[in-house]
Amino acid sequence: MNYCNRITIQPTVAPNSLTYPRIRPNFVKLQIQNYGSSSLLKIKASINNDNNNFVSSKSELTLYEVLGISESVSIVELKRAYKQKARKCHPDLSPPDQVKEYTKRFIMVREAYEMLSDPVTRAIYDRDLAKGISFAFSTSRRYCHRSHYDQVSEEKKKWKRQWESQLAELEKKSDGKKDKGNMAWAARVRQRSNH
Amino acid sequence: MEEPEYTVASGSETTEEKPSPLPNIAVGIDIGTSQSSVAVWKGSEVELLKNQKNRKLMKSYVSFRDESPSGGVTNHLSNEHEMLSGDTIFNIKRLIGRVDTDPVVRASKNLPFLVQTLDIGIRPYVAALVNNVWRFTSPEEALAIFLVELRLMTEARLKRPIRNVVLTVPVSFSRFQLTRLERACAMAGLHILRLMPEPTAVAMLYGQQQLKASQESMGGSEKIALIFNMGAGYCDVAVTATDGGVSQIKALAGSTIGGEDLLQNMMCHLLPNIFKTHGVKEIESMALLRVATQDAIHRLSSEISVQVDVDLGDGLKVYKVVDRAEFEEVNKEVFEKCERLIIQCLHDAKVKAEDVNDVIIVGGCSYIPKVKNLVTNICKVSEVYKDINPLEGAVSGAAMEGAVASGITDPFGNLDLLMIQATPLAIGIRADGSGFVPVIPKNTRLPARKDLCFTTIHDNQSEALIVVYEGEGKQAEENHLLGYFKLMGIPPAPKGVPEINVCMDVDTANVLTVLAGVVMPGSRTPAVPFMQVRMPMIDDAQGWCAEALNRTYGATMDLVTLKKA
Repeated sequence: MNYCNRITIQPTVAPNSLTYPRIRPNFVKLQIQNYGSSSLLKIKASINNDNNNFVSSKSELTLYEVLGISESVSIVELKRAYKQKARKCHPDLSPPDQVKEYTKRFIMVREAYEMLSDPVTRAIYDRDLAKGISFAFSTSRRYCHRSHYDQVSEEKKKWKRQWESQLAELEKKSDGKKDKGNMAWAARVRQRSNH
Repeated sequence: MEEPEYTVASGSETTEEKPSPLPNIAVGIDIGTSQSSVAVWKGSEVELLKNQKNRKLMKSYVSFRDESPSGGVTNHLSNEHEMLSGDTIFNIKRLIGRVDTDPVVRASKNLPFLVQTLDIGIRPYVAALVNNVWRFTSPEEALAIFLVELRLMTEARLKRPIRNVVLTVPVSFSRFQLTRLERACAMAGLHILRLMPEPTAVAMLYGQQQLKASQESMGGSEKIALIFNMGAGYCDVAVTATDGGVSQIKALAGSTIGGEDLLQNMMCHLLPNIFKTHGVKEIESMALLRVATQDAIHRLSSEISVQVDVDLGDGLKVYKVVDRAEFEEVNKEVFEKCERLIIQCLHDAKVKAEDVNDVIIVGGCSYIPKVKNLVTNICKVSEVYKDINPLEGAVSGAAMEGAVASGITDPFGNLDLLMIQATPLAIGIRADGSGFVPVIPKNTRLPARKDLCFTTIHDNQSEALIVVYEGEGKQAEENHLLGYFKLMGIPPAPKGVPEINVCMDVDTANVLTVLAGVVMPGSRTPAVPFMQVRMPMIDDAQGWCAEALNRTYGATMDLVTLKKA
């Protein structure tokens, strides 16, 4: 599966994030536009025109789809998928005239991986997906802003606040599922630390 | 890739056939504090280039003794003392891109050549003593002279002009220091295609070795390695994860400590305070002591105790038996710092010592038993990785990256490599008073693009000053200033309302671009055109700029981070 050819991320983050309203949607949606071969032109056009309205999304990808994997993959498979994707879209391996596009794709793949490779964020993301909330992909939002270790605890709190209501709802709905979910999570944590 | 802008002037025979299957492959260059080397991808493997003296490792120095200055590539020292007579500049990598208030620069003042500081936060001058005259130059110029020699030697060996290079750098180098390196390279006619932190270059080589091994054994899984690199000037640590040729740097840590500190501490221990005035006699004594101490440290790598016996002239003699324990005690602080770097790097990488598959120790100091012990103790291993030459690993990795980044492929898959680099230092802006708020945190994988929102601190504040720093300190001033610009035309609004978005972008070539713009609530478009600046944008005297800005504007154009509801 090669999503890279179809994905058009919003071209430059700064202008695009500048266009967010004060009260933001919870998540910035990943834009996919099936422009086919003309998509590169579209990107370039958008870069040159900052105020362009590129919010006209036609479909969305989950983070799993960005990496081309199913939701049940183990951390080992996830890593493998990430590395395969990295080979396909890392700018170092791009044709010289497509460095910008490759850079954007790679950033997206990498941040999807960073989110899913952390058991905490992955668990939250999974619950979110299960609830049918379209969890969005963002190249820049705080959710992906986790690489700094010191920030993690603070962000966990943020996450907690943000999802508390939804989690409570979810748990009410399915007490049975909850145990299973927790086990899977623990298993993932073990897998990760044993690795 | 650009075409070379010049033709080779000298030193290379252009008559022989051109090695046509090797188009402009970027060469890897490792400029060490003490020794340098050049390597290039040759068809199916890396080759280190030898100079006319048949040496792969060349001493990094520039001598001003003769009419035209000559560096360690072409020059040949008959003995160590020659380098220490005051007319030769060395340890350039420790001086470049630093200001004269930097403790590292001040510690360089007891080298035989002159490091002149005025202690006002400007670039230091270095001077060589030639015919009883101190001839001034700058660290960049001295490095450029050395690089020209390296370039000519490389062109002679490869029989083609060289322009693109992959340069290895210490992890702790700030972007400002990197610009000085770039400038020295430009003066020498070289273009930096990629900069690679030294342990990252070693990780590249490790990744290739693991790829080969997994191909042979048909399989393999992710391997995690800790790389400890300690040379004469700098100490770096990296944690890398590699699988199937794709390597990712998980964390980097580095500091300006190295063999030079071990040597200085030891000299000071043997004979405190001998060097004060840079008199000719004193330089001679200093040289004798330095060579004797260096020799003692080298011998201590294999012997338990050694004897230092040196006549410094004027009745000044040093006679002492030094054992390993004493050497380790004198340098206790340096070794403790090394330990802290490793622990910090493992912590940042979120890797436990037990999870490290291989421990790689490289650099000149890797021969010191204490260094080996402290690394293996922390990583809880008994053996270190043996397949990487401690003095050639970094330059070999740089040559591989040069080949990959030049678009070279290898039919046998030896170049199916990808190195995902990471930022060694956080990049952010001054906000929340005089705090440092990282926008791109340390150890973010490249390429990266991140943004953060800030807001005004005054009602109807129409301008905001974006001051960009790089480093690890909590306060802005503890970090390296990279540049600043003013965001203007913020529409009148109560404080805390306008959203000031600061976005930072670092591409694979490590170029940093900072963008800033302002959005008003309810609006979907920027209130004013956003601004885009390439950093670093300042020259010398960085300390002054921050001070002057603060004096002129105070907090009138300050920002705070925008708290999300």
